[in-house]
Amino acid sequence: MDSLQIGTYTFSSRLILGTGKFGNIASMVDAVRASGTQLVTVALRRYNREQAEHDLFTTLADLEGITLMPNTSGASNAKEAVRAAHISRELSGSPFIKVEIHPNPQHLMPDPIETYEACRILAGEGFLVMPYIPADPVLAKRLEDAGCASVMPLGSAIGSGQGLATAEMIRLIIRESTIPVIVDAGLRSPSEACAAMEMGCAAVLVNSAIAVAQSPPEMAAAFAEAVQAGYRAKAAGIMPKSGSAIATSPLTSFLDRTS
Amino acid sequence: MNGLPTWLTNKKASDDIAPLLQNDSSVSLESLAAEARAITLSRFGRTMSLYAPLYLSNFCSSGCAYCGYASDRATRRRRLEFEEVRRELEGMKKMGIHDVLLLTGERTSAAGFDYLRRCVEIAAEIMAKVSIEAFPMHVNEYRILAESGCTGITIYQETYNAEQYRRLHRWGPKQNFLERLELPERALQAGIKTVGIGALLGLSEPVEEALKVLRHVRHLSRTYWRAGLSVSFPRIRPQTGGFQPDFTVSDHFLARMIFAFRIGLPDVELVLSTRESPAFRDGMAGLAVTRMSIASKTTVGGYLEPDGNEKGQFEVNDDRDTKTFCKALEAKNIEPVFKNWEPVYNGPSTGQEQT
Repeated sequence: MDSLQIGTYTFSSRLILGTGKFGNIASMVDAVRASGTQLVTVALRRYNREQAEHDLFTTLADLEGITLMPNTSGASNAKEAVRAAHISRELSGSPFIKVEIHPNPQHLMPDPIETYEACRILAGEGFLVMPYIPADPVLAKRLEDAGCASVMPLGSAIGSGQGLATAEMIRLIIRESTIPVIVDAGLRSPSEACAAMEMGCAAVLVNSAIAVAQSPPEMAAAFAEAVQAGYRAKAAGIMPKSGSAIATSPLTSFLDRTS
Repeated sequence: MNGLPTWLTNKKASDDIAPLLQNDSSVSLESLAAEARAITLSRFGRTMSLYAPLYLSNFCSSGCAYCGYASDRATRRRRLEFEEVRRELEGMKKMGIHDVLLLTGERTSAAGFDYLRRCVEIAAEIMAKVSIEAFPMHVNEYRILAESGCTGITIYQETYNAEQYRRLHRWGPKQNFLERLELPERALQAGIKTVGIGALLGLSEPVEEALKVLRHVRHLSRTYWRAGLSVSFPRIRPQTGGFQPDFTVSDHFLARMIFAFRIGLPDVELVLSTRESPAFRDGMAGLAVTRMSIASKTTVGGYLEPDGNEKGQFEVNDDRDTKTFCKALEAKNIEPVFKNWEPVYNGPSTGQEQT
């Protein structure tokens, strides 16, 4: 599998893991290991300086071979997200920032206006900006123009397990994009991750589906295989779907008469 | 009663959940639990967000019949001085608490707005997240608290039955039913980010009460799209004054109610406090509840030097310390989350102001 290039960083795995929602930190770490991921996202708000045993941030920072992509989950506007990005960079030393701005804490849909504003500022400051966005092809291009390192459109709502509900919009985003497109949120099963890769996504980001599985490490490994299979299939050239039946009077017979 | 808002009286807004609350409902408690569990697991994962209350003061001018701190109780009155507030909070922090709910009684000269604001400022220096459950305020006061680091308010209507409300609030500024109904909206207009509501279960007919709470949440969610919303399910506990509620709310009904709320409000935070027993809390964890109080004291202060003789606002039912409680969660493969906020996200919500 070719490697995934983001900024000056190269990753051989195209599976990115979210680290919230696990029943315990040990199973989260096991899942990270089993997935073979090299890039994980972690919420600044889970940084817990006083209680090492509950601190996701430092636990992950200490793992070898893993690059941290802190996220701004909890921010409800651009100003808060920018401040969170600054603190995250200081704590993690990572240039990656997943901009995640959801003003409604119930459905957690990303705010396109605030997200754009935060990304513009942070890209200007040299961050590798990875925004979590609605599957909107225009917004995706605007963010690319603003200097984002990738765009991460949602497949469906966070934690909904509704899969690639936005598939058609994601196809458009991929078709038009010159930066990596990563599906983030909504994936329930490895087959959906595989489908996202077959569509041409550069990577997928998965959290809930692995965190709440009976065996998170097993599920993480299954996602890793699915991502790899989808990527290889796309690279190998997927057989086109057969088109409509051949018309009884040929549609192009007029060409015989034009010459 | 005239002048009730339409969201409160519009039964259609809770039609979907009403059938689930009947004890003779064709939907079994077990199947409700299974559905609630599936929703909770996918939306919230295997985690439980934890907080603890700190009673700042028990001075009160209200005559709530059901409260151990009502102004006619012979309870010793005191407030924490600012240095005590700081020490209590630092003590709580040592226990692992990062998320605090500051409580007071009705507004008094001993514990008024300026006092509360200063306590919020102190708490915001120590804790990651600060919420309050205090007296009614004006929009500009809520705004100042939001600017001081308060992100949430909890404000129970106590009962959504206007008749019962009038009867139980014997005197004091809390007597105005409609004014109290407006308070969550005032706070949201001021930029407070999250609002927790609920009814004190037992004060009125429980099914009606549950449906009105549900309609209230749905009204707030439609009207204030940025609002973080949570629902608590406080049942009346024994307290000084010996008030006996008119209605009994059984464990079975409470469980049914909480499951129904998870189904009707799939992404809203549902809260269960130490009013409930260890067995009930452990049982509900992972099924529908996503936020719990822990190691709570309902006396004024009490985290540093518990005064065995002092009576709290009510008797807590789950007095396990943080370690024991976390062990119970961990046994269910649920991660106790002490810190799930960052002060960088404090400050009034933008764009919420209504003109």
